[in-house]
Amino acid sequence: MTHYANSKGGRHYAAEYRDNENSVPAYLPALIFVGFIFTMAIWFLFNPKLDYSSSEKRNLQQFPETSVNNITSGKFGKEFETYFADHFPARNMWVGANAYASLLEGNNGAKDVYNCKYGYLINKPVSEDNEIKNNIDAIVDFKNLDAVKNTPMSVMLAPSTGYVCDDVLPSIHNEYKDDKYFPEITSTLSQNGISFVDLRDTFKSAYKAGSQLYYRTDHHWTTRGAYTAYTRFCSSLGITPAKESVFNIEHYGGFYGTTYSTSGFWLTQPDDIEVWNNKSNTADNLHMKITEGTETKDYDSMFFYNHLEEDDKYPVFIDGNHAYTEITNTKAEKGTLLVIKDSFSHSIAPFLAESYKKVILIDMRYFKTENVSAVVQREKPDQLLVLYGIDNLANDTDLVWLQ
Amino acid sequence: MVFSSLVFLFAYLPITLLIYYIVPRKGRNLFLFFINLVFYGWGEPMLVFLMLFNVLFNYIGGWLVDKYRQDAKKKKLFLVLTCILDIGILAVFKYTGMITDTLNMLPFLNIPNLHISLPIGISFYTFQTMSYVIDVYRDDAPVSKSFINFGTYLALFPQLIAGPIVRYRDVADQMINRRETLAQFTKGVKIFCIGLGKKVLIANQMGIITKALFETTGVEPHGILGTWFGIAAYTFQIYFDFSGYSDMACGLGNMLGFEFLKNFNYPYISKSITEFWRRWHISLSTWFKEYVYIPLGGNRKGVKRQIINLLIVWGLTGLWHGAAYNFIFWGLFYGLLLILEKFVLKKFLDKLPSVLQHVYTLFIVLIGWTLFYFTDVNQLFAALSDMFNFSKGIISDNTLNLFLSNLPVLIVAGIASTPLGACVYNRFKHVKFMWVAETLFVAAVLFLSTASLVDQSYNPFLYFRF
Repeated sequence: MTHYANSKGGRHYAAEYRDNENSVPAYLPALIFVGFIFTMAIWFLFNPKLDYSSSEKRNLQQFPETSVNNITSGKFGKEFETYFADHFPARNMWVGANAYASLLEGNNGAKDVYNCKYGYLINKPVSEDNEIKNNIDAIVDFKNLDAVKNTPMSVMLAPSTGYVCDDVLPSIHNEYKDDKYFPEITSTLSQNGISFVDLRDTFKSAYKAGSQLYYRTDHHWTTRGAYTAYTRFCSSLGITPAKESVFNIEHYGGFYGTTYSTSGFWLTQPDDIEVWNNKSNTADNLHMKITEGTETKDYDSMFFYNHLEEDDKYPVFIDGNHAYTEITNTKAEKGTLLVIKDSFSHSIAPFLAESYKKVILIDMRYFKTENVSAVVQREKPDQLLVLYGIDNLANDTDLVWLQ
Repeated sequence: MVFSSLVFLFAYLPITLLIYYIVPRKGRNLFLFFINLVFYGWGEPMLVFLMLFNVLFNYIGGWLVDKYRQDAKKKKLFLVLTCILDIGILAVFKYTGMITDTLNMLPFLNIPNLHISLPIGISFYTFQTMSYVIDVYRDDAPVSKSFINFGTYLALFPQLIAGPIVRYRDVADQMINRRETLAQFTKGVKIFCIGLGKKVLIANQMGIITKALFETTGVEPHGILGTWFGIAAYTFQIYFDFSGYSDMACGLGNMLGFEFLKNFNYPYISKSITEFWRRWHISLSTWFKEYVYIPLGGNRKGVKRQIINLLIVWGLTGLWHGAAYNFIFWGLFYGLLLILEKFVLKKFLDKLPSVLQHVYTLFIVLIGWTLFYFTDVNQLFAALSDMFNFSKGIISDNTLNLFLSNLPVLIVAGIASTPLGACVYNRFKHVKFMWVAETLFVAAVLFLSTASLVDQSYNPFLYFRF
């Protein structure tokens, strides 16, 4: 790049360009540039403006209000930038291109998801600055409440996917510290009379034996993983679990889960999702109630097949997240089980309902109407279970309100 | 608005270019004047009035200085008044918080915090306007006869918010006589894409590293090498961010028929701090030299006075960079080093093997950016101690992983900090099919930068109800 000590001679710099002016291809970079920015600009104008992004599960920014106040405050400009980005032409293509470009640059995990062998998309390890200790302390405080202290309590945590499936991880990856967290949790809990169901060995050996315990494109455990956890939970309490043979295993394809939609690795193959359906359960013995706020609805199945139409099919189990869910099964042997849970419980709940007459699931993210200890006093459960994925427990900021 | 945003690249820029080239040449400055204000006021429209006020009083100031050019006293008076108003506005918007905080350290004072937000680009355009009146005063540039032309110069969107600081005398002629050519436009596209790539593909990535290492709490210590790695990433980030922005400015200027002076000249290959400051943010160093150092007497009034002048210039350079004391220290740190080099170290440094000269310079530059980065004194001392302390390990596992997964970008950044690419390009630019490589480069940068910018807006809200 040349520059001019004295640009008062504004005209003489035209000479510099004259050499190449005859060759048209020399202008191709400019043509590409102008062609590209104008194409995208015009395409944007005609691109249909959607209200909702299904891969992001959020409402998109709508065209900002053109009031005087909005414009002078600068709000219009800011919202317009979001609007422009949210409706940018071929948006998902660009996101995918960026994901694969990072991968080619050797930066696997740029969006906090590792692209692993056999199409596994696995969340990076949780941050070292996490909520695990706060949440375990909240569980201990809850257990020591007068209303709760006489009810036996177990805590079960799903190990992180990357810890169990460590053979598929990319060569450069951060360490999954389950072997640090689990013993710390066990010791805190056992000092307070809470038993901890440690799934690490069970999962490691089942995985080595060839079971797929986690989805490849989602952070949850598979139905197989949930069943494995269920049998381990039963054996920790001396209960005989329902045999695998009582279930009719249904397979559904085309499941794209959360790690798929966060990462942008669109070329990854979808997962199959399995529904383990015990056909002997009918409306005669089995009921499910979902309570949100003051509204309660009744169902006679634990499976919501309408969700199989969506990309994210995980809500097929007990209709996904709800504040308070109650499953009753008159054919089961044991009494009442109260589960304080995150979404990992959705796929294990149908198994727990094989063993317990009444399974109550409370999700602290949405359950705000009363204290859980009040539910304990009213329902008098035989057993309490706190069930989370370790990754969720590390990020959860609602469990501390447990009382 | 910033250049590295979708709305600039795919809405503002196409509209601006389209209308600019449709409008007859006579109307182009008027159109630019208007579109500059849209650019400037995009985020905070009320600032347009501040800008218009600035244009107006400097225009009048220049006119008065020119009008009384025969009357030395009045001429000087109007120059001083205009400069005081310029500096006054800058001081009010930029330094009020710092001044009240300092005064509040006195036990009997309790001035409320006024929370004045900093108008974008004010540090840059204030210096530009001052160059105008001073140049007119010194007869280095003709007075601008047209208000529109002067306003267009001052608010010219390519260099408005992050430089380069274009002196009026360098573009005075171009404001009136410029002939946009396709060749110049093409050159502008290439330079713009170099800048875009520097900013979006390198600086942003380096920013992620810096953030991961210095802005997350509760993580284990990074180790001594880990901390140096973080500072090195910041060293790359600030260079590619700033020089990328300057490149984009020069490129956009070319697209509109302007030529701006080069603002960066591979600063990290310098062999001394003196050289570094000749290569880093050249338009700012030039400005301080022309309008502060030389008027103060420069080196013409003896060594003692020269040292004082240098310290004044570097204290002000530091203060210009930000309203906090660490920036003044940073400026004085460089001022002292430059004095030391000038009077003591130079003879010694020249005898060193050039490798050691580079090591010396980069070491100082990295320490300099450490002073620059940490505005909090406690964090600064913590970082400096981590940089010279083996007791916290060599490099933590996570930091090593961060390093390895960014290694290709770091290598590209390292090479792009040297003139190697430009040398290869200059060697081959007359080869017949060079346009193929150039076109591929432009296409690749555009594609990857767009992907990266779109990705920044992709925010899955997955923890709502999955």
